[in-house]
Amino acid sequence: MIAPEVLNEWYPVAMAAHIRAGQRRVTQLLGQPITVALQGGAIVVTGQGGALHVTEAFGHVWACPGTPAHPLFPIPEALETGRRLVDVGVVRVKCSPLRAVENFLDIAHFPFVHTDVLGAEPHTEVNRYEVQIREDSDEVWATKVTFYQPQAAKSAEGGIVTQYMYRVPAPTAAVLYKTCPVRPDAWDVIGIFVQPLSEDLCDVWPWMALYDDTTPQADLIAFQQMIFLQDRSILENQIPRLLPLDPGMEIPTQADLTSIAYRRWLKKRGLTYGAQMVAA
Amino acid sequence: MTPRWIATGLSQDLPKAVAMAGHWQGQDLAVWRSATGRVQAWNDRCPHRGMRLSHGFVRGETLACIYHGWVYGADGVCKHIPAHPALTPPATIRVAAFACVEQDGVIWVAPADTVGAPVALRGLQPLRSISLTCDVAAVLAVEPALSGGDALRGLVQIGGQACEVCLLVQHNAAGLTLHALCAVGVDRIAASRWVEDLRRRAERKGAA
Repeated sequence: MIAPEVLNEWYPVAMAAHIRAGQRRVTQLLGQPITVALQGGAIVVTGQGGALHVTEAFGHVWACPGTPAHPLFPIPEALETGRRLVDVGVVRVKCSPLRAVENFLDIAHFPFVHTDVLGAEPHTEVNRYEVQIREDSDEVWATKVTFYQPQAAKSAEGGIVTQYMYRVPAPTAAVLYKTCPVRPDAWDVIGIFVQPLSEDLCDVWPWMALYDDTTPQADLIAFQQMIFLQDRSILENQIPRLLPLDPGMEIPTQADLTSIAYRRWLKKRGLTYGAQMVAA
Repeated sequence: MTPRWIATGLSQDLPKAVAMAGHWQGQDLAVWRSATGRVQAWNDRCPHRGMRLSHGFVRGETLACIYHGWVYGADGVCKHIPAHPALTPPATIRVAAFACVEQDGVIWVAPADTVGAPVALRGLQPLRSISLTCDVAAVLAVEPALSGGDALRGLVQIGGQACEVCLLVQHNAAGLTLHALCAVGVDRIAASRWVEDLRRRAERKGAA
C-alpha cells in the first residue's frame, strides 16, 4: 500500500512536446503502469484505475495518481523573458528517486565527481550556509551557498566563486539558482524533475532556464548530460539503493544541512516512497 | 561448512594504488593496495552516504571515497573530510575491515576475528581469475579429474601433458568466480586456454 501523502503529490511523466507531436509514452509511476497520450487535443494520463489528474508546466506533463493535495509548485523564473528553456532529455537511473534529488542538492561532491568542471581540489571547503523549511510554501530552501568552480557553466570562462540557492518544492523535484556567468545580476535556473518508476528506479529529467544567447542548444544539452551522467555513476553505486531516513545508517556533516533538512521534511510529511525507514 | 578464508582475487590483478571490488559470502568488499603495496579489504560502503569505496581512489597509504573525497587511513578511521578541511573527524567515523592476506599470489579475505592462515598452495603459480554462470557441480561434471569443494584440484591434460591445477572457488550471485593456479613450469598461455575451455564446457553443461 502506498501512503495517500505520496499518491496526492505531482510527478513528472513525460515531455509535453513529445506527446503533442503524437507520441505515446508507455511508462510507470510509483510501480504502476501508465500511458501518456494525446486524446482529442488534450494530454491524458491513464493508469489501471482510469485517468490520473494531469497538469502541464515547464515543458513537462505532471500527473497525480491520488487527489492533489495542492497545485503543482510554480517556477516564476520560467516565465521571464530572455531566458532560454532547455529540456535536456531523460536519464534512467537505478536508484531511489529520493537519492537522485538529494544528490542534486549536494555541493561537496563537485571536486570529486565533476572534477575540473563544477569543482577542483584544493577548493573543497563548503562554507556554512542557511537552510530552512519555509512555512508559507512548505518547501526546503538552502541559501547563501558559495563554491569555487573551474567551469560553472557552458558560458563560463575560467574559474569563479559561484553562488547557489537550492529549493525542494516537491518530493521528487528540485530547483537550483546559481550565478549566471554572463549576467552576474541574475540567476541561472536549473531543475531536476524525477519520475519515480518504482522505489529504486527513476527517470530523471534535467531542465534549465538560462540567460545564454550564444551557446548552441546542443552544447548546452551535452554539458548538462555530461554532468548528470557523472552523477549517475555515483547514484547507481550507493548502498542501499533506498534513501535511509533513520539517523544512524549514514553520517552527515555541516556540509549536508540541505540533505538533512530534505530527509526530515520527507519523514515529517510521510513522503517515504523510495525511503528506507529502519536501518538494515 | 563455510570456509573462513575466501580467495577474492590474484595479487597480479591489483596494482599499487588501485581499489577493486571483492566479496566474502555475499558481503561486498573494497579491496585496495596502498602505494607501498599493502593490501586491505574493507566493507564496500562509505559511512557518509553509502557510496561503494571500491570506486574510490588511493593516495599513499589511504583510500578516499570517490563521492566526497572522505579519506580513510590504514586503520579504517576517517582522517580527512575535504568539505571541512580544518575539522578533525571523530574517530567513530570508520569503515569495518576484514582480515586480508596475500599468500601464494592470491588475495584471501575472512571476517576480522579469523584466526589462522589460508591453505598453503606450494608449487603453484597464479594464472588468472575467470567468472562462470554455472555451479561447481557443472565444473566437476565436465572435468572428472578435478575434485574438492572450495578448491578444485587435480591433474588435467594441458597441451598433451598431465598438469596440476588448482581452482579456488568464490561464489557470487551470478554463479562463481574461479581463481586459477597451475604448477610452476606449465605453459601459462596453454593453461589459460584450458581454463577458458573449461568455462565453455561447464557453462554449456550448467545450461543443459
